[in-house]
Amino acid sequence: MSRAVVIALRSHWFQLVALCAAIVALNGCVAMKPVEKKSWPQSTHLAKEIERTEFPVPGGDDVIGRLAVVRLEKGDTLPDIARHFSLGINAMSAANPGVDIWAPEAGQRVTLPLSFILPDSPRKGIVVNLATMRLFSYKGAGQSLEVSTYPVGVGTKERPTPIGQMRVERKAARPTWHVPSSIAEDHRKKGDPLPAEVPPGPENPLGEYALYLSKAGYLIHGTNKPASIGLKATNGCMRLYPEDIKILFNDTPARTPVAIVDQPYLIGQRNGVLYLEAHKPLEDAGSGAAALNRLYADLAGIEKKSRRHLNWAKVKETVNEARGIPVPISLESGRETDRPIEVAHPAKLYGKPEVPDLKMGKWYVLAANLPDEMEALRMAAIINHQGPPIPARVLPKSGSYRVVAGPFNDASEAQSAARRLKIDLQIEGVLFEAAKA
Amino acid sequence: MKNNLLAAAMMLVFTAAMTGCATSGDLEKVQAQEKLNSAKADQALQDAQVAKAAADAAAARADNAVKAAEERERIADEKAKRADAAFQKSMRK
Repeated sequence: MSRAVVIALRSHWFQLVALCAAIVALNGCVAMKPVEKKSWPQSTHLAKEIERTEFPVPGGDDVIGRLAVVRLEKGDTLPDIARHFSLGINAMSAANPGVDIWAPEAGQRVTLPLSFILPDSPRKGIVVNLATMRLFSYKGAGQSLEVSTYPVGVGTKERPTPIGQMRVERKAARPTWHVPSSIAEDHRKKGDPLPAEVPPGPENPLGEYALYLSKAGYLIHGTNKPASIGLKATNGCMRLYPEDIKILFNDTPARTPVAIVDQPYLIGQRNGVLYLEAHKPLEDAGSGAAALNRLYADLAGIEKKSRRHLNWAKVKETVNEARGIPVPISLESGRETDRPIEVAHPAKLYGKPEVPDLKMGKWYVLAANLPDEMEALRMAAIINHQGPPIPARVLPKSGSYRVVAGPFNDASEAQSAARRLKIDLQIEGVLFEAAKA
Repeated sequence: MKNNLLAAAMMLVFTAAMTGCATSGDLEKVQAQEKLNSAKADQALQDAQVAKAAADAAAARADNAVKAAEERERIADEKAKRADAAFQKSMRK
């Protein structure tokens, strides 16, 4: 009997202790939550800067750079983020499928694909990989080998950039654009005739610097349309952001070898881990299939030769997703350096088009009046990213959204912008002058 | 013995008579009950049909809402694609 009482008392004692422990634990959890929140001050955890263009190439390694993420802010567009971090819009879109290019959600985290596998080509001079739309400029050799890498815009399906070995024939700062007859004809058909020569300045599509290649008619140059970097938009030339071509121009002597390759699937290793970087092949489906067959044959060869097992499911997934990011495919675990680093949003995005304030007495072009805000934001962003830029904004007006380009100093400036909107974007704008108060 | 038989016969007759009366009353009750049950069943069936119709209508409305949302998404995607295609074209020289 007394034992039963003791057990009962013990049982109650245990229940009491358990209850107290639970209360303490719960209090502990509640007390910790704010501490956890406090221990996540963004400024101390976020990297201020990340290397974007210049990397050492340690002996034997093929993978350079590091992935990063950044949180978007209101008004950001992917082309603005891409330019700030020296990425092409193709790379940003592929790495962030489903993210609206022109009107992404504020607060969304986007991947900055700042890790690259070097193309399978001799590491000297300039190498351009058309499939990845990226240029690699090598300096030094052996253990002191370094590479600078920049995104490029390349030729269209109709006028592709030629593949092959060539060299820099000559260089020119502030080049004049001698309009090729084929392009002159295209413009004439569009109702936008071009002069035989376009002098240096904002209308010149070559930008401020040009490297003329030994293959006649092909150049590596700057641009007056920075948002076209990472697009198939040229007539066979390769375009760089204005800030990138300036550095490349100064770093590249005449007679530098230039290799242009088309490698949508890149294999490389870093610290003993094998990586695969897959890109969507250019339009030619035949060459894409051939490149894929070569990839599988190469990987099978590597697996046999190195006697290490590859994660074939990961290979397939990487190829299907084609996100343009190096993915570890050997069965060794990923390293700490594979984890993306979170970068603080820059106070100002380099090269982001600025929209001047509305002013009375200035001229404007009403580009559209749309019921959908998202569509209006997209249109305004696209107009802002024209080259040369046309400032545009969205003005809400009783249930609809007006896309207004301007301010322009006079009617003729507004007329010229309206003409560009019509020719380049098929937008029928209406001119108006904001009357002075 | 005769008395016993008589008593038994009377019991039977009485029982039969009583049973007869009970069956007739019960029949009316049962018929009334049946009518009530039938009416209730009809009502339940009707209610079920109304509920089903309402559920069907709600399901159809939900389907339509989903279809409309999908259509809106498709149109938005198309608009985004068209806008991007126009942009890409405008980026040529």
